[in-house]
Amino acid sequence: MASLLLASQMYIFEVGKITTETELNSLENFVLAVKLGSKHVVIGSLANASNGGQISSFSLNLQKWSSLISSQFQFGKSSLYHALCETAPYSSGFWMYQGANGYGVSSAYANFTYRLSDWEVTIDQNYFVNITTAVIIESTFQTIRANEKQINITINVLNEMGPALAKQIKVYYESSGGWLIPDETNNYTILDYGTGSYLVSFVADIPSSSVAVSAQVIDQREIYAQANVTSTQI
Amino acid sequence: MFDQKGEIRIIEAFLAIAVMFVVVLIPITWPSSPDLTQSKDLADIGTQALITLDVNGTLGNLIAQKNWTSIKQSLDILLPLGVSFNLTIYDENLRTVNDQTIQNSNLLGSEVVSVQYACASQNLDVKTYILRMQMAEIG
Repeated sequence: MASLLLASQMYIFEVGKITTETELNSLENFVLAVKLGSKHVVIGSLANASNGGQISSFSLNLQKWSSLISSQFQFGKSSLYHALCETAPYSSGFWMYQGANGYGVSSAYANFTYRLSDWEVTIDQNYFVNITTAVIIESTFQTIRANEKQINITINVLNEMGPALAKQIKVYYESSGGWLIPDETNNYTILDYGTGSYLVSFVADIPSSSVAVSAQVIDQREIYAQANVTSTQI
Repeated sequence: MFDQKGEIRIIEAFLAIAVMFVVVLIPITWPSSPDLTQSKDLADIGTQALITLDVNGTLGNLIAQKNWTSIKQSLDILLPLGVSFNLTIYDENLRTVNDQTIQNSNLLGSEVVSVQYACASQNLDVKTYILRMQMAEIG
């Protein structure tokens, strides 16, 4: 009987006991999370600005992130400082270029200092985040008959100078002073090589002897970039 | 004459009560301290799971989309079998963001390890979050 009571008592105690909770964070992982978050903020800000959002949101987003990190006291006093790149070609941390040479860039650059202060020691960790989406296009055309032209455009999408996939590609061609979007009536086809390279082909009625084309790309990170080029006749 | 049988029963009953008191008092007086090495390993595993989910911005975007099911499913895959977790997400004003619990089982009655993680979403409207993940090894 005593054993039975004892077992029941132990079971009730074990099930109903107060849960002990130990908070364990590693500084190494925390700093890694701070760097990752900084990168995400830069990507989000560039995506917003390249899609026509406010340039000032970059600084505001970074302030929000710095403020969140500075409110963490797991290892001492945390502070995150940031500075937007102002070195040419960057301005307010951004470089947006949509040249007529077949090259388009949307880039953001920010420098960071993570400071951890304790009673005895202060550690500074400096790092930078540079996010760049670039589009490189090359185009050729062939006159089929009269004003009808067969146009080919090769589009390469790059993230941080490495091949990247596009989420959306829009192609335009210039005809009689206006920019038009080729569709199925133009026998529009797009070939995705799966390597960040795309081949766009279409037929268009263009009276002019020169053919200007433009590619507007949104990458997987929602960053917009545009490149324009004058097509070469073959 | 004294009934010796009854005397022994009384002694046995007192002994049983004494044993029960001792059993109840021991854990209260000397609570078991958590195994720190094991706890640290569990904390590292949990943080690594969150980092893995955060590397390409998935974590912040899933939070921004309020996709609690996908977060739970991802953590189920990233954490080893036998690890229970409960994740709570706070915004920059420390208000709870997740309106559903993100957990795979109840942590009651377990020695819990918790980790805190800061993250940001990388979508057009950047949001920042603090995540608190409680974990326990079950079984």
